[in-house]
Amino acid sequence: MAAASDRRRINAPSSGTSAPVFARTVKEPGYLQSLRPARTRRPNELRKTFLQTGIVPSASGSAYLEIPTTSTPNSKSTLIPPTSSLKITASIQGPKPLPRSAPFSPSLLLTTTVKFAPFATRHRRGYIRDAAERDLGVHLETALRGVIIGERWPKSGVEVVITVLEGDEDGWWGDAGQESASGMNGGGWALLNVLAGCITVASAAIVDAGIDVVDVVSGGVAAIVRDPTARNETERKVRILDPSPAEHQEIVAACVVGYLASRDEITEIWMKGDVGADSDGLIEGATYAAVGSVGVLKDVLLEAVEAKFKNQAATTSKEGTKRKQQDVKMTG
Amino acid sequence: MMATTTSTHQPPALSFPRPIFAAVSPHPFLQAHLTAPNARKAPQRANGRTAQEFRTPGINTGSLTHCNGSAVVRLGNTSVVCGARAEILADVDAAAAANGAIAGADEQDPDEEREEIESLRLLVPNVELSTGSTPQHIPGNAPSSFAQTLITRIRSLLLSTHLLRASDLRILYTPPSSPDEPDEATAAELKGYWVLYIDIFYISIDGNAFDAAWLGLLAALQKTLIPHAFWDEDLETILCSDDPSDAHSLSLRGLPIPSTFAVFEGKRDWDECSEDDETDWMLSDPDAFEESVCRESVCVVVDCSAGKKGAKDGILRRVEKSGGGVVDREGMRGLVRRAVERWGVVEAVFSGKT
Repeated sequence: MAAASDRRRINAPSSGTSAPVFARTVKEPGYLQSLRPARTRRPNELRKTFLQTGIVPSASGSAYLEIPTTSTPNSKSTLIPPTSSLKITASIQGPKPLPRSAPFSPSLLLTTTVKFAPFATRHRRGYIRDAAERDLGVHLETALRGVIIGERWPKSGVEVVITVLEGDEDGWWGDAGQESASGMNGGGWALLNVLAGCITVASAAIVDAGIDVVDVVSGGVAAIVRDPTARNETERKVRILDPSPAEHQEIVAACVVGYLASRDEITEIWMKGDVGADSDGLIEGATYAAVGSVGVLKDVLLEAVEAKFKNQAATTSKEGTKRKQQDVKMTG
Repeated sequence: MMATTTSTHQPPALSFPRPIFAAVSPHPFLQAHLTAPNARKAPQRANGRTAQEFRTPGINTGSLTHCNGSAVVRLGNTSVVCGARAEILADVDAAAAANGAIAGADEQDPDEEREEIESLRLLVPNVELSTGSTPQHIPGNAPSSFAQTLITRIRSLLLSTHLLRASDLRILYTPPSSPDEPDEATAAELKGYWVLYIDIFYISIDGNAFDAAWLGLLAALQKTLIPHAFWDEDLETILCSDDPSDAHSLSLRGLPIPSTFAVFEGKRDWDECSEDDETDWMLSDPDAFEESVCRESVCVVVDCSAGKKGAKDGILRRVEKSGGGVVDREGMRGLVRRAVERWGVVEAVFSGKT
């Protein structure tokens, strides 16, 4: 582990630790399979999304996104963690002036950081950013850069900081041992879901910060999965929206887009796996998913604005009488 | 707090809207608040609390999937996510040799247990501030000195209060007694340890990061369930039972609650050099703005759970003080009294949850 040499943090025992292995998963093969989650949603049905803005008062804009899992089979009867839900916070620092040493920039400099919490996934993650997190940061920057009207903030910079408190999983954890199923095409499917979540939550935070955008961008994922039950056709592939990777034994291909719904534009696209001939269909599916999340996004933003105005109206009506006490006199 | 708009009639004195006053001259701003213009009402700080008033914590537990125990704590605008996660330290041979035969003894001296936990590094607390929680901590940099100080304070408090028992973290194995002498009980062997990773993530910081982190850590540890672990002879490895009824929670020693105070040194007026005028304030549970104007800070950790009389007899666990010399012996006595009061409030929140 690289963290062993980190002198600025508290380190784990140098010999390393291992995650607990549960006896029944080793000794009773049938038991393991009984825990396998299955998709209960229809192919075109998205998971429910919870979104809230303004969670970090000291930031200029912030948002929190949670997509709970639909399949929690038996969380009370076992200590084995069920499939995790997606929990992401985003916070915007800025726009603020660039340091004097920085070269002139005619438009807003966007910096995006994506970091997983150590407890975000089944395997504990370190504090130092790894390649996957950097990769996500770059993808997110691409998705956002085309949306922000950067010319309105010359010589300034803005930080978009994303913390993934809990991420989707690459596949069902029970399959991790036998590499046959997901090992064929690499795995890493969770990153697509996380990226879609990041795009949506960052977009909400940017609007919350009052940064001008051409449209509200949102993320969506679609995937092609192989249906194991369909035996009659050998290559039975199903296109689904908003896949939860743990619920599928084999994902053939997946695609995430950053989509501007009202302009019908795509700012970011990331496709993985063996798409075959139908790549357009997959992208279209992802945009459908993005349209689904932009609906939530717009509702939440509208609500936030309404609440703000209501607050303002309430304070201004009180202010007439309270105004004198509100001001603090400067003496001395 | 909303920004006030300009009023219709201009007052004669030099007057600013609140946010501008606070930004331009923070020190006089806070002092103007604390010197009450009218004697009827107690003077209030800029955040609407009195000098003695703490923020009531809000605690939510068990929201993280991949943790053995987790908590979300809100202290006003400071919010913290804390997750405790147990992993197995199996390679224990060298460590066990150094510690001697520790597995046998049931009741141990707390200091020995602390030694055991500390030398094996069974507790791994860490904080992360660079989550956009405050403009001062931008990700991409190494942990700031503030973050390093914070985590060192948390770790040292965790160890010095003897909060966790080493017996909760040991994984023991009692070999089956040999058929030759079935009466003889075999001694338990130490096969491994549970290592607790305690990760504290700040969602947002508005002052008093230490108290919030500690409350999050306490709440998470209180809810932590350690699975029953046993040594499997066939596989020669440590396995765990996934049955929640086999699992045990951590039996924590006491409930140490920290209370942080910031000392605000007011500027005395030149014309009246009377000493009786109160010009220093000890602000309970400072927010970010107050922390930026105050130099001296005191942190008092008390634990009243040992005594039967509730908040009447508490144990002073730790006093930290830095940055100035305003708080004298008498002042410190008052702060301890306030910390004991605070303990009662926080304890009520905790017991309301459990």
